[in-house]
Amino acid sequence: MSPRTRELGFLIPGALLGVIGVASVASAKSNVLEPGPVAVAAAVIGLFLAMHCALRWRMPQADPYLLPIVGAITAIGLVTLQRIDPALARDQVIWVAVGAIGFIGVVLIVPDHHVLERYRYMIGLTGVGLLVITMIFGTEINGARLWIEIGGGQTVQLGEFSKVLIVIFLAGFLRDKRELLAVPTRKVIGVPVPPAAVVGPLALFLVAALALVVVLNDFGTALLFFGIFLAMIYVAAGRAAYAISGFVLFIAGSVAVWALVPRVADRVTNWLDPFSDEQDQGYQLVQSLYALADGGTFGRGLGGGFLVLENGGRVVPALETDFLFTAIGAELGFIGAVGVLLLFVVLAARGFAIAARAPDGFSKLLAAGLTTVVGLQALLIVGGVVRLVPLTGVTLPFMSYGGSSVVTNFALIALLLVISHRTERPYRPRMRRRDRAAERSLLDPEPIEAYGE
Amino acid sequence: MNRNISRLNWALAAGFVLLVVMLGWWQVVDAEDLRGRAGNQQTAHRERLIDRGSILTADGVAVARSAAKKVDGQTIYRRVYPEGTLAPHVVGFTDDNVGTTGLESTYDRYLSGSYGTEPLLQRLNLKAKRGATLKTTLIARVQRVANQQLLGRTGAVVALDPKTGAVLAMASSPGYDLSKVASGFATIQKQEGVLVNRATSGRYAPGSTFKVVTATAALESDLSYTPTTQFDDNGSISTPGGPIRNFGGKTFGRHSLTDALTFSINTTFARIGTNLGAKRLGAEMTAFGFGARPGIDLPENQVIASGRYKGPTLVASDQEGEDTARIAIGQEQLVVAPLQMAMVAQAIGNDGTLLRPYLVQTIVDRGGAVVREQTPQEVGQVASAQTAGELLGMMRRVVDEGTGTSAALAGLSVAGKTGTAETGDSGLNNAWFIGLAPAESPKVAVAVVIENTGGTGGSDAAPVAREVMQAALAGGG
Repeated sequence: MSPRTRELGFLIPGALLGVIGVASVASAKSNVLEPGPVAVAAAVIGLFLAMHCALRWRMPQADPYLLPIVGAITAIGLVTLQRIDPALARDQVIWVAVGAIGFIGVVLIVPDHHVLERYRYMIGLTGVGLLVITMIFGTEINGARLWIEIGGGQTVQLGEFSKVLIVIFLAGFLRDKRELLAVPTRKVIGVPVPPAAVVGPLALFLVAALALVVVLNDFGTALLFFGIFLAMIYVAAGRAAYAISGFVLFIAGSVAVWALVPRVADRVTNWLDPFSDEQDQGYQLVQSLYALADGGTFGRGLGGGFLVLENGGRVVPALETDFLFTAIGAELGFIGAVGVLLLFVVLAARGFAIAARAPDGFSKLLAAGLTTVVGLQALLIVGGVVRLVPLTGVTLPFMSYGGSSVVTNFALIALLLVISHRTERPYRPRMRRRDRAAERSLLDPEPIEAYGE
Repeated sequence: MNRNISRLNWALAAGFVLLVVMLGWWQVVDAEDLRGRAGNQQTAHRERLIDRGSILTADGVAVARSAAKKVDGQTIYRRVYPEGTLAPHVVGFTDDNVGTTGLESTYDRYLSGSYGTEPLLQRLNLKAKRGATLKTTLIARVQRVANQQLLGRTGAVVALDPKTGAVLAMASSPGYDLSKVASGFATIQKQEGVLVNRATSGRYAPGSTFKVVTATAALESDLSYTPTTQFDDNGSISTPGGPIRNFGGKTFGRHSLTDALTFSINTTFARIGTNLGAKRLGAEMTAFGFGARPGIDLPENQVIASGRYKGPTLVASDQEGEDTARIAIGQEQLVVAPLQMAMVAQAIGNDGTLLRPYLVQTIVDRGGAVVREQTPQEVGQVASAQTAGELLGMMRRVVDEGTGTSAALAGLSVAGKTGTAETGDSGLNNAWFIGLAPAESPKVAVAVVIENTGGTGGSDAAPVAREVMQAALAGGG
């Protein structure tokens, strides 16, 4: 069975999940059995089929599991949004459509991801540039400046896009300086320190990113950048010492941020004891915990939870964004919520498998980095919801209401699929026969060695 | 590099395991604890999903019911009080933010459908979450008259069926509107004392109405008192606690025990009290229910025990070393609630048998099946049937020619006793009346108290009692 046929088969459960989901939400709300917005469900299935066809056409050997997992996660997310407010689900479907276009765009425009390595500095600069633009022109929502207003009251979170760009940059940069990283020249307080040539740009980059984040007042994105950074250095250098010292640095930095940024301090205080200020600062988290407890082991069933107030407000503030996972826990129960977490674990496992199979350092670093972006985001936001870590405003990939994140994540998955396809079938540009040998020596150094045999 | 990627994968997976552990803690292990926390909106919402049963009066007026409404696709129920001012203190309210009082609290288990096998059947989806209906003993007609009589005054009215103990009316003034609780509880709270059920938890000196208890103790005692026992009065009597005079400084000369009750002669009852002593008088009080909280079906914190108080502490009724003479005329440390005085009248009107007062006659489920039916419950015998009959005759004279003439009803015989207890403020009294009608075979027993009035029990409380008794007898019982 070809990978694409396999993919098509695995898309069926996700599609069923979505169709049955919207039907049961609609039925629960009207008390009679009804199919719900069939056209919308069909449109979403159509979008996934379009993505599938794009892959079939251009990336036939790509991993067959990623798209179905993403499909299932998207389906559960849309059903949950549909349950909270059908208008939200309609908006989100439009964003999924834009995401699908982005996905297909990546599949068609980037036949080989190695091309990105060449433009790593430009891409890195663009990533930082997007953050700068946000800093200068951004609109403040809930105390954090993360949004850029575009026409018609719509906003975009450029920071979402910069995550992917920065991963591409780091993959290129670290692959370039990998050998230097792996061989530390000296030790400081027992910690091996790589040469200044590597540490310098990296530190500069990191400080710039973190400074921006502090200015943007978004602890979650800072945490995410730092996590991605540590993970990729670890993969590149293979030294736990880097990760550990980085982690120590991070803890120290966190304490500093906690002491300096009031918004962060509030969130940490809530995290440590939300019940002490149940009516004010701790309100959101406590309401979320109550909703989760109400869901219990098996959940109240779609439409059965107490999530929406009589006036249309939410019982848990920011339910459709930061606390979407709470809605899932309340209505699908512990069982359903764990199911969603498992989907993310499997998604991450597939991503890392693609990284492990990739033939070259850049591909491995890129795939591992992209996978970390998705996995870590899910970990951070769900961790905030279940009080494992302080609450951050990062999105739950493919689920939280919001366009920028969805579009970015679809592009990210497309990139992972490109990597997996190129692992199976290395890139051979189509050209005239007599140019091929010359080109080959430029693009692919290994065949040249083969000539020496 | 692959080894590192694999480790990174495991590290991330470990993070997700922690998520599952935490999630399991909140959703499974600690869930019950969280659900029980005060202010949990989710738990409050679960209660809104229950079609709570109605509360009806004996004559079929709905005082509380549930109204369905669709919110977010779910049918939720809102508590509606169509007759919110009829008997707010008795019916009570149930509100997420304010709490639960009255019958709404006492019978919450039945109203919310969590009695018997209901919760199990509901969990198995064999039965809808619907509560049972309460049919109370209150008669709307009588209750309305009581409210009307108390309008603009502070006080309470209790009317009992002497043969069953059923509460026919229980009014407390000032009142409030149950239908305003959900929207404007703060405003209600600002009005002083409106939430207090004065009928069951008002604290008053009983004044001369207590002489009925003293008279019962005397007739039942081994000191051979009869209604015709003769006494002398010269307007004053000296007791260990100081001299006691008659109301208004009157002197009555030679008279019988019946005369003493009819004209409420303090000196005679003080003398009887001293002769009886704390033991005998205390035992009779205990028999009447003093010293213990009446077993009425209202929340315990809304019902007080009547009796002898030392400061805030209830002491035994037969405590030695007290000024028994002053207790005997209803003064000193005696504190009573109107319900207790209504019970005194009830026992005398029921051949001396004290019954437990109750508010709910039947509990009926939505299928019409009776879940619970209240039958009269005897608490004890306060006097022999003969003594009770003698007392009725004595009390009848009070209304016929004594202090309680304004309680008289045309064409009916009424028995009663007035009381005028001085309050701390000069010139202001708490006016009392306890009564029974018809005297030959009582169908209604009442207790009325009007606070801080310039008048007496005879002038202020007796007319109220008359109207309430008339209303109670109008429907044929």
